[in-house]
Amino acid sequence: MTDSNHIDMTALAELKEVMEDEFPVLINTYLNDSILRIAAIKEALGNNDPEELRRAAHSFKGSCGNIGALPLSELCKDLEQKGRDGNLDGTQALFDKICAEYEHVKASMEKMVG
Amino acid sequence: MSTAEFQNLRILIADDNDSDRQILQTIVKKQGHQVFAASDGIIAVKLFEEEKPDMVLMDALMPNMDGFEAARRIKAMCGEDIVPIIFLTSLKDASSLADCLDAGGDDFLTKPYNRVILQAKIQAFARMQRLHETVQTQRDEISTHIDHMVREQEVAKAVFDNIAHPGCIDAKNIKYLLSPMAVFNGDMVLAAKKPSGGMYVLLGDFTGHGLPAAIGAMPASETFYGMTKKGFTIEEILKEVNKKLKTILPVGVFCCCCMIDLDFRKSMAKAWIGGLPDIFIYRKETKSIQPISSRHLPLGVLSNEKFNTEIQVLELAEGDRIYLWSDGIHEAENPNGEMFGTERLVQIFKESANPENLFDDIKRGVEEFTQAEDQSDDYTIVEVVMVNHEELDESEAAPGKDVAKSGPQMDWVFTYQLRPPSLRTFNPLPLMTHILMEVPGLRPHSGQLYTILSELYSNALEHGLLGLSSELKHSAHGFADYYRQRTEQIEKLVEETVTIILDHKPTETGGELIISVKDDGPGFDFESKKDNEHRTEGYSGRGIPLIRTLCSSLTYHDRGNHVQVVYPWSYKN
Repeated sequence: MTDSNHIDMTALAELKEVMEDEFPVLINTYLNDSILRIAAIKEALGNNDPEELRRAAHSFKGSCGNIGALPLSELCKDLEQKGRDGNLDGTQALFDKICAEYEHVKASMEKMVG
Repeated sequence: MSTAEFQNLRILIADDNDSDRQILQTIVKKQGHQVFAASDGIIAVKLFEEEKPDMVLMDALMPNMDGFEAARRIKAMCGEDIVPIIFLTSLKDASSLADCLDAGGDDFLTKPYNRVILQAKIQAFARMQRLHETVQTQRDEISTHIDHMVREQEVAKAVFDNIAHPGCIDAKNIKYLLSPMAVFNGDMVLAAKKPSGGMYVLLGDFTGHGLPAAIGAMPASETFYGMTKKGFTIEEILKEVNKKLKTILPVGVFCCCCMIDLDFRKSMAKAWIGGLPDIFIYRKETKSIQPISSRHLPLGVLSNEKFNTEIQVLELAEGDRIYLWSDGIHEAENPNGEMFGTERLVQIFKESANPENLFDDIKRGVEEFTQAEDQSDDYTIVEVVMVNHEELDESEAAPGKDVAKSGPQMDWVFTYQLRPPSLRTFNPLPLMTHILMEVPGLRPHSGQLYTILSELYSNALEHGLLGLSSELKHSAHGFADYYRQRTEQIEKLVEETVTIILDHKPTETGGELIISVKDDGPGFDFESKKDNEHRTEGYSGRGIPLIRTLCSSLTYHDRGNHVQVVYPWSYKN
């Protein structure tokens, strides 16, 4: 499994070009932010609150999309849909997948910024 | 970025997601703009207030205050300035995007950001903003210009009012409807008392609007008032106004006009109408109307050689009413675009119960027809009532108090002889009046003196020299005949003259003026007619008895071709 399975390298390259020196800062920001987002999703699940789940998943989806973490973004989208539908079946499994996928993204990112 | 239109803007970015905000901030900065960043709606509104940015990029979903609410607050702060708000959203469904626009957003941008689209949108809104600023600037300029123009018109109006001031438009036998700024609609109403006691009323309607229409009103009214005061006839005034307007006004600008010369003593009027709608005479006795049509071109069209001053003589009775109007009343439109027209006007006269209310009935009739709120801008109406002369005399100018009590102008004799060419074309009365007014103490007497001079002069010329019979003047028809004969006979004069001698001496209490008028005619047997004069009735013959009441003596001399009156005067109080 390579980094490109988890991250759209073209989008990320473009982002790197745009951000220049700020790129490592952006990545760190993303990674720190992600911890908060994941915690928010976990809390929503623990509370069995679909609306809170929708909001948290939506937010994480956006930042993952921007950074080029498209598979992770897709998973968030599925979770967001579950929240919107008020259907919490299988959300725990989906959350586990998100955490696993995030670990891959994180590893790739950390490798990238050294 | 390289286009000439590119502009550096101050842009507020509001997004709660740190990485998203960081990316956007970097992109926008790199495009050359100054960025202010906020992490929720409350901070965004506060920053907006402090920094007054040109544009806002706003995330829709944020904690504390969402983007929709922040957008509403920001829009409310902007007033009439345009500050574009572009929503940033990963929402893609149509109703969520519509919510962005409903909240006052001007556009939206979906995540992840596309730099090219973002830049294009920022620049498109910057262009719109510049356009809006240009429009605002131009609007403000236009409004400044309008204010300026209104002030100028007010000044011009004040000048016009000063010129028009000596008028008697508020005399109790006149009612009129005229917009306060009518001079700029091209309408004017002038009225002035003649030194002899009658009255001139003039309604003018200049072509065009605004200053071009007002330009002609100034010289026209100045001429009207100036010449009236000096005792010129209706024909002479019309001729002079026509000449002035013809000289001043550009081709295509002229003045439709009706001028009425009212003689309250003789209960008659002379009318000259050029280019205005028919004037109406309302006969009190028969409760009927008689339209009098325009027979002339408007003033300012013909050169004075071609200008025709022929007047129409109107025989009136006390209580008869004359109506003058601009075509605005006939052309007043109702909401369906129909014109008021002459028939509706005639109908008002038929239905009106009390002639005293006719003026208001007409006004109301037009208002009800047009259903508009402000009529007076578009038309002008004047009603003049033929009244007993005594009703008006009381309002005549009171004698002045600050008159010089002596001076070189107190003791003199003036002899003035007119030969046929002058008798045919020249009216000596304004000149005579002018000379008499050099005696300050005589100024309050100008009306009486004018009456005396004009009666004596016309007797000498028309009866003495031309041999016309005053019997003719007993009917309106006879009047026309009289004027025709007068024109014929005056051409036949060869070397006959009329001589006017004014002889003024100071006295203890004032002065004494002796007026002598001599003609070369055959005279008349004044000894045998003496008693008769007092009983003469009708249009003519009132002249001599009236003069007797004004003077201390009136005597005939020689063969009846020489009349002399003595007019003593004293300083009041």
